[in-house]
Parts: sequence; structure tokens; C-alpha cells
Amino acid sequence: MLWSKISAVLPPNEEQFPLQFSDKVESSVVDVLKRSRQQLYSGDAATASRMLNAQIILDISWEKLNTGTWRHVDKDWRRVYSYGCLFKVAALCREDPSEERILQAVRTCDMGLLMGAAVMDNILQVLVQILQGEVRKATKEEDETEHANIKRIKIECPRVPVIKEELAVPRIKCPSLESFNTNYLLPLKPVILEGIIDHWPALNEHPWSIEYLRSVAGCRTVPVEVGSRYTDEEWSQTLLTVNEFIDRYILNRFKISQDGVKSVGYLAQHQLFDQIPELKEDIRLPDYCCLGEGDEDDITINAWFGPGGTVSPLHQDPQQNFLAQVVGSKYIRLYSPEDTDKLYPHQSQLLHNTSQVEVENPDTVQFPEFAKAPYLECVLQPGDMLFIPVQHWHYIRSLELSFSVSFWWS
Amino acid sequence: MRWFGFGFNAFGQICVHEKLVEGSDTVNEVKVINPTELSSHVDRSGCRQDIRASWSRRASLHLDGDGCVCLAGFGAVTSEECISVAESRGCKDAFISESYLTLVFPDRVESWDLDTKKKTPAWSMEIKTQPECSGTHLNLPLVPGGYIATKPPFYQSLSPHLKAKSLALGAEHAILLSATGAVYTWGLGSHGQLGHGGLISEEEPRAVEALWGMPMSCVATGGWHSVCISDGGDLYVWGWNESGQLGLPSQTLRKAQQQSGQQADASTSPREDPQEGEDDKEVFISIQAFPALVDITPPCEIKTVSCGSRHTAAVTTAGDLYTWGWGEYGQLGHQILSSDEPQRVEFFREQQMCVVDVVCGAWNTFAAVVKEEVANA
Repeated sequence: MLWSKISAVLPPNEEQFPLQFSDKVESSVVDVLKRSRQQLYSGDAATASRMLNAQIILDISWEKLNTGTWRHVDKDWRRVYSYGCLFKVAALCREDPSEERILQAVRTCDMGLLMGAAVMDNILQVLVQILQGEVRKATKEEDETEHANIKRIKIECPRVPVIKEELAVPRIKCPSLESFNTNYLLPLKPVILEGIIDHWPALNEHPWSIEYLRSVAGCRTVPVEVGSRYTDEEWSQTLLTVNEFIDRYILNRFKISQDGVKSVGYLAQHQLFDQIPELKEDIRLPDYCCLGEGDEDDITINAWFGPGGTVSPLHQDPQQNFLAQVVGSKYIRLYSPEDTDKLYPHQSQLLHNTSQVEVENPDTVQFPEFAKAPYLECVLQPGDMLFIPVQHWHYIRSLELSFSVSFWWS
Repeated sequence: MRWFGFGFNAFGQICVHEKLVEGSDTVNEVKVINPTELSSHVDRSGCRQDIRASWSRRASLHLDGDGCVCLAGFGAVTSEECISVAESRGCKDAFISESYLTLVFPDRVESWDLDTKKKTPAWSMEIKTQPECSGTHLNLPLVPGGYIATKPPFYQSLSPHLKAKSLALGAEHAILLSATGAVYTWGLGSHGQLGHGGLISEEEPRAVEALWGMPMSCVATGGWHSVCISDGGDLYVWGWNESGQLGLPSQTLRKAQQQSGQQADASTSPREDPQEGEDDKEVFISIQAFPALVDITPPCEIKTVSCGSRHTAAVTTAGDLYTWGWGEYGQLGHQILSSDEPQRVEFFREQQMCVVDVVCGAWNTFAAVVKEEVANA
């Protein structure tokens, strides 16, 4: 029974259930947390009452999480939020929950993982694995027409650019650490490394495909960017399950909006591998990262999963980047930071690392110098890993269904 | 004058049920949906009583004669408890935040830590009253020369050229009404709550230019939104509208309501409803960065307004109470829990009561009423 599995990973009794917070968390809030803790171990509290107390904790901490800038939100409020998620999950799963309730519990765990801070040895991660196990038991067989759909998606490849040889990003197969360091890292020169990710399980034992992603993470909630590019007014972020994202933005199962414009959805810049450890096992940290000065633990790994046509406008990042291509292909253009003066970065603080120019359709009147800026370009294919040196401007457009993994390191 | 409260009651700050004291609370006791009369600890009929509320408490100010403050809610053992008479006796005004109770006396201001219940105030300051100079009586959080913040450091100075008449504090911003009717805002602006047209923050008070030339008579803030009333009784709003607290169409609210039967909330239900085409024509506003006029039908003159974290309550000169915004705890006072359209709280009409004032806690609402005949006399 589900509750006994959940019970088994919780502390055995109220006394051993920690609720320690700094004085940033007011006593009144701690009072509600204690009520929830008491109800967790009491047999006679009503589900409605448990849900209500959990909801109070979630609502008050949600308000705190939305107060001030994100980086200034006190970590203890994020912990309170995670406790709220924990109590809500416990209330949902107490009495032989339906599949709908279990999915709601998974969503609740994900909200805690995305917005909260780890509590009780990252218990939400433990719980979501248990819950996913229950969901998989109930999953029906795959839809066979999905295979046909994917083939159809692969065939439509609009606007595949022809790469001019003299502008191509150089390619090198499995260079030694030293040669990479000397020829590319130290001089900060972009290069495509071939053969580096060939042994990833993502390309071998567990080839990443839509079916595989559904089976590993289908019911998990992830942040999705909606809109053609993040500099657009219509751009926004929303939260969807992986299944919903695939159905809506990859397979286009829902009708398009009335003015005929298909909206683009992109699972972008998300630390998916922290959220779903099973996927982390399908990738490897590139050895070359050890050439940096930073800690291995400080390396940020992001997932980039979306249909053809996603665009990341020309921008620069404050760290070195290895961009590994696992599924599908992407057109990428690179500009040196030395030519920043020809790239017209936005003035605002928020977007000062982003160019105002639309790379593949530049306004030559508004941005006359842009055409003079030298660049390198490539079509990144599965198995390739592109080295984007720190502060190097890059523009990326997916040519088809694509899944990339980026490593930001120093 | 009688006071009615509705909304969040998890600490018995509106009314206490026996069951609550024993620890097994039910939804009905925590969410008070129907306006409920506040029982007065000090039974002095006819005396003026004012209310202040925080997230977990309600303070009743008895200001006739020797003033004193009574606290209900978190930490109050019985249904209502007068904090030690020696501490609040003689006060002229009070202001409550989640952690502190600030009291104004003729010669001093004090902030008391509500959690630790010490015998001395956490902070105090002398004030020198010049009886002839102030035509306008200063109300908290304003004090001579500045204002009192909700937590340390308490005293914040304000430039005298602002001619501060009243001040309201949101979660991350502040709004000030000057004696000339001008409105100033400062603090974080990421939710449009400063009303200057963008999302940038302001360190110093900056005049809301869109309202220039229209004198305002009242200002209030919610967590992330601002409201003010013009001399003519029009209501202007700006800031975050994620729960319809501005009275403008809110997409987040509509989507949450669309989820069939399920009680959805901003905090853990992010599901996108794939229904398309229905709301294509309507313009939704999630952030309103410039003041907008609130449309209330039938048209009416607004007398006073107060805001909770994510809801707004307005009293008309005709004695009606309108509420809108986040209502998941019953803080709107009617059966439709949350709403992005102003709705009249019918309870008071049905009881033939005339609403004369409103004060909001974070997640609840308190309305002062007089009997209709009294109002019309």
C-alpha cells in the first residue's frame, strides 16, 4: 500500500520530525507547521483538515517566495514551502489515493523541488520516486501512432542553412586534455568536439526518444518557455508536465490559435537532471571541465528540449559552456566578444547580455554594423559537443525536434 | 458601531470555536465565509472601536477616553485578551504587523515584540507634539518626521517636502499621500506596484505622474498592489493582478477556475488547461504598471478602501461593501471564492446594515457597520 511506503521514509514519530527555523519564520507560521506535524502522526485527523493546514503553509510561504528578489528570499522560507509540499503529499496519499490524486502528489513534489529548498535529506525527491513507481504501474501501453508522428516531424526540416566552409566552426575528434587546453580553452576559441559523448547511455543503452522521456518523466512538472524568443513581448513561462509539453508543443495535438500562428514551447535552461536523477545517469560530465578552476559541484547542467524552430537570441554567458547535442540538430552562430560593438546589446540591465539584432533576419538600417561582424557557424549534430568560450556571443535555432545538454563551468 | 469579520480564521482572530481550542480544526472554522460579528471584550456600547489586522492577529483599538488595545488571534489564550493594561493604556493609535505591535502615545511611540512578550518595548522613540502645527492628525505608520517600518530598523525618515498625510506599506513597496493630494511610491517595482509605467525599483519616493492634477484622498496597499481614491470617489489601481486583486481580467484566475471542480491555487497547481479559442478576444492583465480606473457596476462613489495581500475591499458612500481578488479563505465575503470583478457583499444589504469602514488583514476583511436608519438620520 502506498501509504506504508511513504510512512517508511518519514521519521517514526512526531518527536523525531525536525522543524527548525531561523527567526525569519514567524512563530505563527511555525505554529501551523506544528499542527501539520501533529496531524501527520495522529490517526484521527480528517483529510480535509490536513489538506487545509498544508495549504495554509503553502500559501503563506508562496507569498514570501514572491516577496523581494528571488536571490534574496530567505532559504528558510523555501524550506517552509517544501514542508508544505510534504504535508500536502502526505494528506493526498493517506487513504488509498486514486491515480488523479497520485499525479497531484507528484506535481506537488515537483513544485517543492522547483521552488523550495531541500528538507529532511531531500525527502521530496525520495517521495516523488515512490509516487512515480505507483504511476508507472497504472500506465497503459504506448500509442503506436506516435512513432509515425515522430517520423513525420523529422521529415519537415525548413530552412537548413548551408555552412560556408571558411566560416565553419572547426571540428576535432577526441583531443587530449592538453591539446584542448592549449589550442582552444586558453585562447578562448570555439570548437566542436566529436566522439566525446559517443558513450553516453543517452546515445546507447537508453537512447533518448519521446517514448523514453515519457516513461522516465512523463508525469513530472517542468518549466516551459512559450513564445518565439525571450526578447518578445508575448514570451512567457509556464509549468507543464512533460507529457503535456510533448503533446502540446512537440506533437501539436491541440489546435493552433485563431490567427494561425503556432506558438512555440521550449523546455529551456532547466536543471532537469537535478530534478530527475534517473536522467542524470544517462549523461556524463565532460572530462575537460577539470581544466577549469571551479568546483565540480558548481557546474550547472541544463536541459534544452523542444521542437524545430526554437530560437535562443544572440547572447553571451558569464561561464564556459559545453553544449552536447543528443537528439536532432541545431544551427548555431558564434561571434567573438571583441566584436561586441557591432552587436548592439540591449541597454537595460535585464537584457544587457542579449543582442538586439535578429541574426537570421537583421534590420540593416537599425543595425548597420552588424553585417561587418565576423562569425563562425555550424549545424550541430547528435554526438557533437560544442565548446562556447566564456562571453562568446551565440545564436541557436533548432532545425528539428532537439535535445541538448549544456554544461556551464569555470 | 459594530464590526463584522470574514476570511482567514486559523488563529481565532475573527471568532473562536470551541473545537479550535481543542486542536481539531475544520474548514468551516478556518475559513469564515459569512460575515460574523466580532464580540467585544470591553462592552462599552456606542464607543468607537477601530480594527487593525495582521496575518495571524486582530487588534481592537478602543480610543474613547483612555485608549487601549485588545488582541485576538495567535497567542491570545481566550477569545479576546487585552494586552496588559499598563502597556497600551493611553495610546492614541496602533499599528500591527506579523511580529510587532506599534503604539502611539502623546509623548512617545513604542514597538512591542508580540512573540517574546517582554515587559519592555523592543523599540521606542520620543515625539514632541506641537499642537498648533499639525492641521492633519498623523496616523500610523506615519510619525513626526517619518514612519515606522514593520520590523527593525523601525524608524525611517521622510522628507518634509512630501507633506506626508498618510502612508501604506506593501510587501516590498510603500505608497504615500501628501497633504496636497499627490501620491508617491517607492520600493521594488517588479510587479508594477509603483505605478510609474515600468518594473524598475525606486529608492526614493517618486510622484505617480499619471495621477498628477487629480487630488487623491486615500491610499492603500496590498502585498503587491496599490490603490487610491480620488476626491471625486473614483478608485484607481495598479500592480499585480494574478488573483484579480485589481478588478481587471486575470488569466491566472480564470485558468484556475476552469479546472473542473478542483479547488486550484497559485501555490501548487500550475496545470495549463489546453482549452484554446475561448478567451482569445479578452485582454488579460497580469501586471498593470500604470494606474487604471476600476469599473464598478452600478457606478458609485468610493468612500474608503483597504487591501489584504491579494484582495481589495471598498466601501461606497451609499454604504455598500465591494470586494474582489483572492478569496480562497472567504475574505471576499461571498460564495464565489475568488473574483477579478468587484462584487457587492450582499450580506450587509440583506441585514439592512450600512457599511461605513473597512480594514483588511492579510487574508481577511473587517467591516464596520451602522444600522441603516442611523446612517440615514
